[in-house]
Amino acid sequence: MSRGGAASGRPRWRTGPYWLALQLVLSGSLLLLFLLPIAALFTYAPPQRILAAATNPAVSTALYLTFLASGIAVLAAVVFAIPLGYLLARRAFRGRSVVESVVALPVVVPHLLVGVGLFFLILPGSPLYRFTTAVGLPIYDTIWGVVLVMVFVSAPYTVLAADLSFRAVDGRVLEAARSLGAGPATAFLTVTFPLALRGIVAGLLLTWARAVSEIGGILILAYAVYPGGPYSGPVTSTLSVYVYNLFQTGDLADAAAVSSLFLLIAFVLFFLVRLGERTGWVPWRRGELLP
Amino acid sequence: MNAWSVEGVVSHVDGFRLGPVDLELAPGRVVAVLGSSGAGKTTLLRTLAGFLPVRAGRIVRDGVDLTDRPPEERGLGYVPQGLGLFPHRTVERNVSYPLEVRGRTDAIARSRELLERFGLAELAHRRPARLSGGELERVALARALAGEPDLVLWDEPWQALDVEARHELGRVLEELRETDRVPVVVVTHDPSLAFSVADSFLVLRAGKVALRGDAATMLAHPSDAFLARFAGFENVYDRASLERGRPGSLAAWLSERAGTDGVAFVRPTPKAVGDPHGAWEGVVRSARPTPEGLAVTVRVDDLSVALRLPPPPTGVVPFVGARVRFDVEEKSVLALGPPASAPRGTLQ
Repeated sequence: MSRGGAASGRPRWRTGPYWLALQLVLSGSLLLLFLLPIAALFTYAPPQRILAAATNPAVSTALYLTFLASGIAVLAAVVFAIPLGYLLARRAFRGRSVVESVVALPVVVPHLLVGVGLFFLILPGSPLYRFTTAVGLPIYDTIWGVVLVMVFVSAPYTVLAADLSFRAVDGRVLEAARSLGAGPATAFLTVTFPLALRGIVAGLLLTWARAVSEIGGILILAYAVYPGGPYSGPVTSTLSVYVYNLFQTGDLADAAAVSSLFLLIAFVLFFLVRLGERTGWVPWRRGELLP
Repeated sequence: MNAWSVEGVVSHVDGFRLGPVDLELAPGRVVAVLGSSGAGKTTLLRTLAGFLPVRAGRIVRDGVDLTDRPPEERGLGYVPQGLGLFPHRTVERNVSYPLEVRGRTDAIARSRELLERFGLAELAHRRPARLSGGELERVALARALAGEPDLVLWDEPWQALDVEARHELGRVLEELRETDRVPVVVVTHDPSLAFSVADSFLVLRAGKVALRGDAATMLAHPSDAFLARFAGFENVYDRASLERGRPGSLAAWLSERAGTDGVAFVRPTPKAVGDPHGAWEGVVRSARPTPEGLAVTVRVDDLSVALRLPPPPTGVVPFVGARVRFDVEEKSVLALGPPASAPRGTLQ
């Protein structure tokens, strides 16, 4: 008896009431866990307070720095992480599993350790310190320090997404392209990349999300950010460090207000992306970014 | 000219060895590559296409050695298993692809012409995901032809097509032979396709060429059970099962005529159910009407034998358990197995 099966568009599975209740309880619990702390934030931060935070120049500077640094981190992921993902997906080489494990490492290492590790790597006086300073990319307390930490913790998501997406491209479709006259580069640009693009973009979104939310490594490498490189504003810090400071100094209401502001921005961004994917106006959804 | 010759080609894939394979491909000729699963049919096609390295031998087109050329330089129209259509491109831009990658400015215009010819014009702006099986096959073939290939390689055409779509595609293939004058290599499991379009056959068994030749050679020398079934023999028996027959039985009689791999014979066609003539008698196990008459299976001792009976007068169907007498013509019985001197047909 498939009551109502024909009425709605998709097939309806007949499930018992207990099964349905179990599903609702389990999914509902997780959603509550996501939503309750956020709701708590908003109860602490009334709308006028959030508005005040939004118009506070110190907050907008921190926001600007955070978006600038995370944007550069995403660019770095595009340039370095996508080729690594492609390599892992398409080449069989000795020590591949070692490379795969290395890629997964930043995801599991506590991020404070990342900061400490980078700190020791670029100790003043070390060759790397002299090199980075000489080429005009000083790390400590600059945007480059922020970017370095962000890339370290977030690029693996793009590597993994690119690896999976390139793997998912049907080899026979690729062979068809090659046999029809496309050289390796043309086949990559016209077939492999457009077909993998959607998954890669999902990975880049995760990379961005991970980058903006980073604090551990930044606390050590770039607690305060002085102007230099692409950042030319006043001395500031990333939004995460900014909120941490407010919290540490007992300014709970402002900490809640700034956090809420950031959550709103992040939510709107993700919502727009999802909406774009659903309605199909984002190019990667149609797989048509390239000819 | 588009005359290809494949000379002693050997290739390996994952421990499987194909070859040596020799093949002559003339313009407008269709070669069907047959063989059971794992015989190396797709491996042969992928080797010809340049996706697997040639370990020995060479591939030559009009005197030019293509053995070590990459796939894009071989002038191919390759239709892989599953068709390999581009899911992110419309039908029109799937078909224009071979021209686009060659930098042809008339790519879309040519694509439109081909879509028109294959009856796909109204589907030009659809994605492959929204087409039927028959339409997909035609798009794949149109795309393969768009670059004016010197050789069409086609893996398992019309695997899941209905009768109508098969007929349509058969017509297209016939046209391809006559208009485009391109040699075609078709890999197939389907006897009806093979016999309707192929000029010659190449049979692979475990990576080796088991037989090459035209349809007559195929039918005259089905050297094993697979080929015998492929050639349309329904009654195929291996040696061991015949040798168990008691003296004087049909099994024993066939056993005397069997080769090393057994025996095959065409369906006996007795005149009617009640006809008293015939050397052998069987009990009807099943009967179903087909366009060519009644397909009947009878049991003779331990053997199951397929017969064909004329269409019965309305309502009279030989019921299960009825007895039927029939003859097996001596000259219709084929010994299966490698003959003393291997008859090797030449492939045009």
